[in-house]
Amino acid sequence: MKQIGRIYLLVVLFFLYTPIIVMMAMGFNESQLYELPFTFSFRWYEALLGNKQLLTAGMNSIIIAIITSVLATSLGTLAATALARQTFRGKSLLQLLLLPPIAIPWLITGTAMLVFFYWSGIGRGMHALLIGHVALAIPYVVLVVGTGFKTIRADLEEAAMSLGSTPIHAFFSITLPLLFPSILGAALFAFAVSLDQFVISYFLATPGYSTLPVQIYSAIRKGFTPEINAISTLLLLGSMTVILIFARFAKPGDTSDKR
Amino acid sequence: MRSEPLLNEAVRGPSGPRKHRLIPSWVATTALLLPTYAWLTLAVLLPLLTMFVFSFMSATPMGKAPITFTIKHYRAFIDQPYLLNIGWTSLVIGFWTTLLCAIFGFLAAVALARATVGRMRETLLILILLPFWTNGLVRVFSWTMVLRENGFLDNVLHMVFADAASISFLYTRYAIVLGLVHGYLPYMILTCYIALVTIDDAIIEAAASLGARWWTILFRILIPMAAPGLISGAVLTFVPVIGSFMEPRILGGKVGVTMGTVIEDQFTQAFNWPLGAALSFTLLAVVLAIFATFSGVLRRGAAA
Amino acid sequence: MNNITRRNTLQLISAGLIAGASYSMLPRKAAAAGSITVLNWQGYGTDEAWSIKAFQEATGIEVVHDYYSSEAEMLTKLRTNPGAYDLVILNAARCAQAMAEDLIAPIDYSKVPNISSVAENLRANENFNKDGKGYAVPWVWGLTALAMREGLPKADSYAVLGDAAYKGRVALQDDAVGVIAAAALLTGQDMNNPKDLDLVKETLKGFKQNVKLLWSTEDQWNKSFAAKEFDVAMYWSGGSVRSKRVSKLPVDFVVPKEGGIGWVDGLGIPVGAPNAEGAHAFANWMIDPKFYVEWATKAGAPASSNVAAMEALPADDLSRQIHKPEYIATMSIMSALPDDRREAFNNLWQEVKAFYAE
Repeated sequence: MKQIGRIYLLVVLFFLYTPIIVMMAMGFNESQLYELPFTFSFRWYEALLGNKQLLTAGMNSIIIAIITSVLATSLGTLAATALARQTFRGKSLLQLLLLPPIAIPWLITGTAMLVFFYWSGIGRGMHALLIGHVALAIPYVVLVVGTGFKTIRADLEEAAMSLGSTPIHAFFSITLPLLFPSILGAALFAFAVSLDQFVISYFLATPGYSTLPVQIYSAIRKGFTPEINAISTLLLLGSMTVILIFARFAKPGDTSDKR
Repeated sequence: MRSEPLLNEAVRGPSGPRKHRLIPSWVATTALLLPTYAWLTLAVLLPLLTMFVFSFMSATPMGKAPITFTIKHYRAFIDQPYLLNIGWTSLVIGFWTTLLCAIFGFLAAVALARATVGRMRETLLILILLPFWTNGLVRVFSWTMVLRENGFLDNVLHMVFADAASISFLYTRYAIVLGLVHGYLPYMILTCYIALVTIDDAIIEAAASLGARWWTILFRILIPMAAPGLISGAVLTFVPVIGSFMEPRILGGKVGVTMGTVIEDQFTQAFNWPLGAALSFTLLAVVLAIFATFSGVLRRGAAA
Repeated sequence: MNNITRRNTLQLISAGLIAGASYSMLPRKAAAAGSITVLNWQGYGTDEAWSIKAFQEATGIEVVHDYYSSEAEMLTKLRTNPGAYDLVILNAARCAQAMAEDLIAPIDYSKVPNISSVAENLRANENFNKDGKGYAVPWVWGLTALAMREGLPKADSYAVLGDAAYKGRVALQDDAVGVIAAAALLTGQDMNNPKDLDLVKETLKGFKQNVKLLWSTEDQWNKSFAAKEFDVAMYWSGGSVRSKRVSKLPVDFVVPKEGGIGWVDGLGIPVGAPNAEGAHAFANWMIDPKFYVEWATKAGAPASSNVAAMEALPADDLSRQIHKPEYIATMSIMSALPDDRREAFNNLWQEVKAFYAE
């Protein structure tokens, strides 16, 4: 049974990585038009090294994604705690309000933000970018962490408190560790939402300031070259290394023995 | 603000008396919710409210054209009946994407929770989520290279069967669904996994030792346990898929006409924000109605 | 009372957020002394690195770019960012709208000496002028017509888009105005104001069996053409030069007997531009023969509005052969559409697309 499960996971991973492998391969393909058959070449990596604009944009994207991820995960977890653990009227409404940012296409949300930020004097720039990115990531965090809460029994906290623990202490010593996988997953998603988000950056960044998705999005008119594949590959491999090292040195096996 | 008396009531609410209460419950609730919802309100909800007001205007309110208020954009489905077909297509695509994600995602979550432990499990989970750190446009674009005639798929096929005909299915609805499933599967795996990770091995072993067949374990234990995850996953999949426009446009070719692309065209080509906004709010209403019905059915099912 | 409190709270929150977020990262000053900000499509002439460098060496003015991805977005950006841009690239069809809304200011032609050799037809285009004043420097023009794979018999009419010989081998542009113009020309109507829209609709629906895909960017066109997904398509004249020269694609540009769909892009200076002086200088640079020849031969470009620049191209240059000077006088040019007609065009195209998708 376990063998079947593991083989199935490998199949799923293969499916998920198919376009990623193609993306990586095409970064080493000579043809600018992504034509087959494949001819190996470092030309796009060389071109990338000389493309300061793209490299800066990549760097900007990472910085914004990290800040977004931290802010959205903290804020979203706070809200999810209240929504899961407190009883008050209007809760369903608050939960419902998380849906419009997910349901309305980003293009419309982006346009709405551009207009509203202009009228309200918030304007464009890095601050506007962050306000937008964090806001779009929050609903995802609340939903993911909220799912985590549903699987933790509230009576564990109650038990701790009846044994003399304060609510805050109970939360930090019991609930938070149990929530860890959900919070980690939510943070990874917030990061992904930010890295994927071109519309907001496109509308709200200051002229001259650019992020990777913006570069990709504006390049589709003229044609994006395999340089884009090259930088996406580097970004992915870089983050993969960092996060796997992090996972290696983090406390092992947290998720398997806590129930 | 309106919510204050409501919160006071929560103190007397059903959570019952607790010892060691240092701060009143409503203060805690407000403190936890305020920063997040203030942020959401300022950055998304108020702008979307502005858009909602626009949807009742006769023209995009940025120009010099005189503005009158009208509900004609909400009549679009009546005035332009072909939109009904497009809307139906979008719902069907959303349904299939969600269903496929639910099946494959649930199974993957079960496999993760049951067949792996400790560090291997964490590594696998991270590996599942990491592809989404690449840009969506690049991913969709890579699918076109896999699926097109003489693309990667055909090349692999020809390695095995040299004379096989092309099995390219780029520019079909299948390609759109494939791209969307790929894009949203990790959400489903994650939420189902979160719900299943707390499962107690002892329960399943006990059930098995009492002679329960695998389907009993699946339908009586695993699926009910995963339900919160399946529901959140379905929300995170169905809701954005209905309005998606990138995957249909790039993978769908001429069949890639969905509500998402119609709405996008209103903003990029037609410069008719009111119509685009009205269409997206109609879509939002439909989505909410579907979930309301769905959760009603669930609740009745639970009560029975 | 309640309202005021709520608004105050909101203001406080937003002020706090902004202060918090902008303390660490102040947005870059867009208009530093000696720089201009240009609003354009990405990769469309103004942002060629060699040209920006040479321009800065010649004048000391640094060129910063902001991009748009649709013309609607360009107008939105102009409206919501007054005083942010010095120069904007706008199509004649959109220029009239920008002019009417006072988004762009009159051009001081005395600061654009190269205007003297610009084709008079283009300079006097009604979409660029209001009350006897010019509001944009005509920059480049081109045609949308047909592109065919080399070796195929050259079509002489847009009717080829519905020719049964090309079943599943046709790509149309996903642009309401463009496809309606082609169908209008095919049915002998005014492309800017076709009287019989039903005929246009039926003509377009008649292409259904042939249409393989709808393209929206040059990139998509090139990659699909390279992957042999279609043989006949609507395409831009300048794009075909780039596809042939830069991407080495076997493509022939064909102007059928009904005529091409002409368009002109102009350089406009937004009202309140912080550095209008620099913008005039850059506009002059953009229509200079020296810049144009290098742009057209290095990258591939549409035709310059400056006749002298076209004549400076080598006689056998592809761009020069495709953009015949007589077209300036004979082609129909896409011009401004009133709102109701634009809406009718878009609804028609949505309906046709829905029909294709069935």
